[in-house]
Amino acid sequence: MSELAIGIDLGTSNSCVAVVRNGEVEVLPNPCAEPTTASVVAFQPDGTIEVGNHAKANIIHDPTNTVCSAKRLIGRYFFSEEVKMAQAVCAYEIVEGPSHGVRVKARDEEFALPEISAMVLREMKQIAETALGHEVTKAVITVPAYFNDNQRQATKDAGRIAGLEVLRILNEPTAAALAYGFGRGLNQRVAVYDLGGGTFDVSVLEIGKDIFEVLSTCGDTFLGGDDFDDRLIDLLADEVVANEGVNPRNDPFAFEKIKAAAEQAKKTLSYETEAEIYIPDLTDDAAGSPCTLRRTITRDEYTTLVMDLVTRTFKVCDEALQQADLGHGDLDGVILVGGPTRLSVVRDAVASYFQRELRDDVDPDTVVAKGAAIHAASLVGGGSTPETHAFLLDVTPLDLRIGVAGGLAESVIEHNTPVPIEQTRRFTTTCDEQESVQIKVFQGGERLAEENELLGQFEFSGFRRAPRGDVAIDVTFAINADGIVDVTASDPETGQQASTTLTLSSGLSSRELEQIIDEDKTSRVRADDPLLVPAAPSPPEPQAAAAPYQTGDISELGISGADLEAAELGSSEAIQLEDDGIQFGDDDGIQFGDDEILIDDDEIQIDDEQLLVLADEVVASPDASELASEPPDDGSELFETGQFDLSAGLEEE
Amino acid sequence: MSLPPLEIRALARIIGELDYYQILEIQRGASRAEIKQAYYESSRAFHPDVNRDLDAELASDTERISKRVTEAYCVLRDPRRRSAYDQRIGAGGDVRMQLAEATAEHKRARIEARQGKTLQGRQFYQRAQEEAERGNLKGAIQSLQMAVTFEPGNTGLEQLLADWKAQP
Repeated sequence: MSELAIGIDLGTSNSCVAVVRNGEVEVLPNPCAEPTTASVVAFQPDGTIEVGNHAKANIIHDPTNTVCSAKRLIGRYFFSEEVKMAQAVCAYEIVEGPSHGVRVKARDEEFALPEISAMVLREMKQIAETALGHEVTKAVITVPAYFNDNQRQATKDAGRIAGLEVLRILNEPTAAALAYGFGRGLNQRVAVYDLGGGTFDVSVLEIGKDIFEVLSTCGDTFLGGDDFDDRLIDLLADEVVANEGVNPRNDPFAFEKIKAAAEQAKKTLSYETEAEIYIPDLTDDAAGSPCTLRRTITRDEYTTLVMDLVTRTFKVCDEALQQADLGHGDLDGVILVGGPTRLSVVRDAVASYFQRELRDDVDPDTVVAKGAAIHAASLVGGGSTPETHAFLLDVTPLDLRIGVAGGLAESVIEHNTPVPIEQTRRFTTTCDEQESVQIKVFQGGERLAEENELLGQFEFSGFRRAPRGDVAIDVTFAINADGIVDVTASDPETGQQASTTLTLSSGLSSRELEQIIDEDKTSRVRADDPLLVPAAPSPPEPQAAAAPYQTGDISELGISGADLEAAELGSSEAIQLEDDGIQFGDDDGIQFGDDEILIDDDEIQIDDEQLLVLADEVVASPDASELASEPPDDGSELFETGQFDLSAGLEEE
Repeated sequence: MSLPPLEIRALARIIGELDYYQILEIQRGASRAEIKQAYYESSRAFHPDVNRDLDAELASDTERISKRVTEAYCVLRDPRRRSAYDQRIGAGGDVRMQLAEATAEHKRARIEARQGKTLQGRQFYQRAQEEAERGNLKGAIQSLQMAVTFEPGNTGLEQLLADWKAQP
């Protein structure tokens, strides 16, 4: 009998763990018998760390040392919009780490986001071990379908720090569909409407016996249940400003009380038509005397407050249906996922959008963990029998792009392409004796490079000395079944391989990761109820810690702000990308919407001879800047990169 | 449910020479349903999830095949890509097709259909759009009329002109 592997839904607000035992999928409750556990980490004055629902209760007393919604920050750059938004609403301190990474500061100690998430994962692992009575080392962890590669990698790092071998990163909607359809012999088309705390995803799937094929997935990473809460919080806070003359936002304690009251009111409104909000002794008013917040909110009032957010989710649904080539009426079912889908305003709107009754037999809080557990069981079980196996044919949610001339990013693999997949592009040198080439890889839906997520940038070097155009290099872009991106390069002539896994510069280097695993801060985590914890939970086997992991050979690939600025200034020696008949540049600079920019005939380059100039950096050549000032005169364009000082350690074989 | 190792190795070795129909083991005229069915069958054999227990070399072989299976599916399930691909292999061309390729062709075709094939046609179309944005319908119609003159037989432009003329 193979080892039990668990499924963990690592949520923005709450997490859940499940397992398949004796052919049955079951949610493993925490020691307080709750199916879900708050994804909150509290740093106590005595140096201990508390995770879960107790930690959540800590927010009101000690908001600055209680970290919640860490999922919104994981895998992000410090300068990203999302981080700025989080800074505005989070009481805890968010600071900049090395290489534009994000760190959370609590009690004078800084933590990388994967460390925080690891604490939550460790807690879920422990909950599973307590419930099962033995050690667990393997897990499938879910992420929003719309997570980019940086966020997926960081989540995988978190699993590793928590002492888990991450069998697979699985998309949440896909997991939900699996839990819904597994073993039922269905032949259906379904939509999964997944409104989480911080993100919204919708996936359209075709379920046929043992196959779960994702037809399309679309999402909005800036939309979630938290936004619904914020609307009510803002309303209440504004009223306090108007009535009492003080801004409760300036008092972290008062603000957390309002947040808690708003959340409670929201829950009440899913089953009542009105909710009473009462916070005695909220804060001191302008005159210095304590003031009280008391108010009733009706369901209608709340609906008006959030309706535009619901409408925004339907725009995303429209897109998903269109990409799946289906209409609203073509679906056999709609699966609701995520706590916020309990809101009647959401349920009513979704039912009318998809023109169908909603199913009540799917628990939106646990369905994702269940699906993850089913997949985990199927992976460790090796898929020996058809009854225990389900094939997931998932898609990549975002376009994978390569930086090209003019600050643009050309799509190499479109979003909603099934995975695993790989595409190869051939590059040639544009300078005599050129020694290296640099490539930037992006993910996102925008043609302007800077509007996409930069996954990484790396350099291939060690070309044989030759006249320009004489050296070719094949760059292969692969996306594996986890949705994780891998870029490799090889010399088609010599077969010399230059290979690397992209690492996000805001993420952890392999050295940092090792260090964190050695320090093991998660061991300071205090269990909710020590009595119920196994006497001596054995430490993770060293083998598990050293589990197969994407090698971080180029983990020193940090890109500094100066680099990014330099990229915009754009000065670089250039090489050409030989096109192999691909119309790379034929639409450079053209918007394909209704407001197209006129282009000249000459600019529509459709002949096989067409060349694309790609990034390059010549670290070794002192003449680089000179060369850079002179664009090649063959009509090709310069790719704008700056003077980067990157060392993308290439592996030579 | 993996294939015998020898079979996997042999397939991995020749996969680069097979066209997408051969990879999915279907006829050139296969229907969309048949293509999907073949994709499912091939995935059952080669998807990385089913081949976790294989040794590293075989697992990498199956993953390579799996990626090519996906690529075949991506091209053949899309009518636009498929017709371009059929033309190519019919003429003895490359058995692989870049996924971005057909899309780029399509975009170009669409831009030509909308704006015209000639420089003058596109310029007048552009001017017509600008006039229309400024609310100068009369000017817009004049410019579009010129565009149609340079682009005889462009039904997209003719239709737009008819629409504009019908406006009060």
